[in-house]
Amino acid sequence: MRDTVVIGAGLAGLMGALALADAGHRPLLLAKGQGATHWTSGTIDVWGAADGSLREAITGLVASNPQHPYARTGFASLEAAVARFRALTEAARYPYVGSFERNVLLPTALGALRPAAFFPATMAAGDMRLPGPVLLAGFHELRDFFPPLAAANLAAQGIDARGTYLNLPPIKRKLDFNTRSFAQLFDDPAFREDVGRQLRAARGDATRIGLPAVLGLKDPLAVVGHLQQLSGAQVFEIPTLPPSMPGVRLYTIFRDALVKAGARIQIGAEVLRGAAANGKLNAVFSAAAAREQEHHASTWLLATGGIAGGGVRTDYTGAVWETALGLPLRAPTGRGEWFAPRFLNEAGHPIYQAGIATNEQLRPLDESDTVVYKNVAIAGAALAGCDPIRERCYSGMALATGWHAGQLLAGANE
Amino acid sequence: MATIPHDHIELSLENSLDHCIKCNICTAACPVSAVTDLFPGPKYVGPQAQRFRKPGQPTPDESVDYCSGCRVCNEVCPTGVRVMELNTRAKAAIVEQNGVPLRTWLLGYQYLFGKLACGPLAPLANVGARNPLLRMLVERTVKIARNAPLPTFSTYSFRSWFKKRPKQQAAPTKKKQVVYFHGCSTEYYEPRVGQAAVEVLERNGFEVILAKQGCCGLPLLSNGAFKPARSHHEYNVEQLLPYAQQGIPIVGTSTSCTLTLKEEAPELLGMHETAVRLVSENTYDIFEFLRMLHQRGELNTNFKPLNRTMPYHAPCQLRAHNLGRPALDILELVPGLQLNESNAACCGLAGSYGYKAEKYQIAMDVGAGLFEFVRASGSDTAVCDSEICRWQIAHGSGLTMRHPIEILRQAYGDE
Ligand code: SF4
Ligand code: SF4
Repeated sequence: MRDTVVIGAGLAGLMGALALADAGHRPLLLAKGQGATHWTSGTIDVWGAADGSLREAITGLVASNPQHPYARTGFASLEAAVARFRALTEAARYPYVGSFERNVLLPTALGALRPAAFFPATMAAGDMRLPGPVLLAGFHELRDFFPPLAAANLAAQGIDARGTYLNLPPIKRKLDFNTRSFAQLFDDPAFREDVGRQLRAARGDATRIGLPAVLGLKDPLAVVGHLQQLSGAQVFEIPTLPPSMPGVRLYTIFRDALVKAGARIQIGAEVLRGAAANGKLNAVFSAAAAREQEHHASTWLLATGGIAGGGVRTDYTGAVWETALGLPLRAPTGRGEWFAPRFLNEAGHPIYQAGIATNEQLRPLDESDTVVYKNVAIAGAALAGCDPIRERCYSGMALATGWHAGQLLAGANE
Repeated sequence: MATIPHDHIELSLENSLDHCIKCNICTAACPVSAVTDLFPGPKYVGPQAQRFRKPGQPTPDESVDYCSGCRVCNEVCPTGVRVMELNTRAKAAIVEQNGVPLRTWLLGYQYLFGKLACGPLAPLANVGARNPLLRMLVERTVKIARNAPLPTFSTYSFRSWFKKRPKQQAAPTKKKQVVYFHGCSTEYYEPRVGQAAVEVLERNGFEVILAKQGCCGLPLLSNGAFKPARSHHEYNVEQLLPYAQQGIPIVGTSTSCTLTLKEEAPELLGMHETAVRLVSENTYDIFEFLRMLHQRGELNTNFKPLNRTMPYHAPCQLRAHNLGRPALDILELVPGLQLNESNAACCGLAGSYGYKAEKYQIAMDVGAGLFEFVRASGSDTAVCDSEICRWQIAHGSGLTMRHPIEILRQAYGDE
């Protein structure tokens, strides 16, 4: 009943669905559970190793490494994808800032410096290349966020940083906290008033204050503005451990836009297998109560992720397989080949490059480079030829390939 | 295609906890832990506490009783942990230890009240059920919330309507027969839902068979009273099996009854016999069934326009079927009709949860966002597949609630 189906609810799948919806389609999006949005920082990482211009870095990569997913999309598609993404988030009052000119360095919850190209405006003042003393603040009640530890690590890297704990403002609830409960609390102006007063008192000479990325779900920009006004310093968010509120915000923005455009999203529906004939995928089957649900479509976008996202799995026998359609993978053979000698090997571990090889049109290829299904495109970390976490291109590559694949499929459908 | 090695962990529901990567996505999605500190959330009471649940050992965590069973955790979990099932089995272990409380018996056998009160006595019974003094007394004694939304007993039962109507033509082939599973709510409270279902099925050329059937047993099952739940399921399997064996589909309008027949009872109770499986595999939500007809090009799509815009809530018990939005897929074929879906995780009531005095307010808080959404729509009517959710949404928002099959029935117009 729906002419295109997207499998996977991470950034690649969402962006692919958006491209299809923009082109007038009403895709169905199937996913086993929530996608990588909920585990990742919410920044758009294009290429971590770029010292200067990202435009040059990507153009150079495309020329030198034709197997890399970016080589399939080219810089132009990446640029178009980011532009569309920014328009989407801007319209939802959650603007992204940054540029292809250079990476900024944002602090992690441990005080490491992480390069990113685009990031929510709520994180902007956290660019550690900017001058100005920094105060990091958090709450004992929020686990896995230790301002003094993060500040000490920043200080060790020559940044003027201090960390402190705030007192939890009086609230009705008391038992257990997570990132979501804090985000709900920050949506309440009275809670912010109290936190803002404490920040002003603790500020000292700091011109910037970093807080865990839990500053509201409804209107984070307004929350940050309010806290800045109260504290007298610039305020920025630092990504936390999952569940990531910046990721939840992103998912919500995509969901609302897609549903409004007539798409349907079905979370909780794991795709188990497909049925094909004559080089075309005709149906997929997803897990459902009592029996599988059968879906028909003329075009398909697979964006189920790599090893980390669950699109590729391995077991102790050395088997490596693609979980949704059983597509052929490019992967090191045998467990002996999966890993490089040292755990923190700079070159990374070969198994993390496991993925689906594609042609220029992002169509999946088998071992002999023949197209497996001509009506299926692949996007995101399911693609072979990259190690997205180590290369720090996870989200940039997801946007670029998702957008590109969606557009290719939209064209194929016409 | 590569051969996919069998994942032995997934063979066992209880061992699905080994898939938990502690991401807390479920915790951030659980509608109950969002509004109360009495419930720490799915990750803690599910995969985490499960490590300490061993046969013969005392239960490590009583707060699991505050899980409403809505399955939102299962839906969002990226690794497929069956949190809700772990929780329900843990509840059953507590019931095993302490015995079935009187309240569970009352909630589980409420259909007996239906049997008594539905029919000519209904007006009187309805006055009684709404008597504040009586409700107060019930709350004090058996802890059933005095403000929780009780449905209105119907002045006639669905089966009596069905028996009285003029005999319809028998189907020429078995292929054109369906068994209708009406469930208790259609039988005693909302026969109009069953009437609409029968008429829609007949408009599509089906002969509707009314098999003998009992309560699906979900109120017992979800409260951990597994023993009586099992006998309810056994009874239904016995009644429905002959039809399932002939390949005659069993179609229901209550998303919770169909879910129980399909999955809840067999999985939670570990009933894996062939008969149980056959019934499960032949059971369909009515819109799932209609959507299948449409996929085959066999749905009667002779709809007259309905120029209306209404809010729609996909109840958690429907979402647990993992079928997407079958009612929306069909109703979008009706010209002029626009249904706007809520993003609410749950209406709060979750079966029998919101009827419990200590959980009534939690249920209302869970549903608050949904009530606001339907009220803000400006429509006087909202649409939802599950009866209990309809009662709760009506209670919380003041809107008139309809099952989507009633809307589809309207779209077919008069003969
Ligand atoms: S969402 Fe799933 S994997 Fe994550 S903590 Fe919950 S049960 Fe574990
Ligand atoms: S079933 Fe619902 S109430 Fe229970 S833990 Fe899961 S999400 Fe929370």
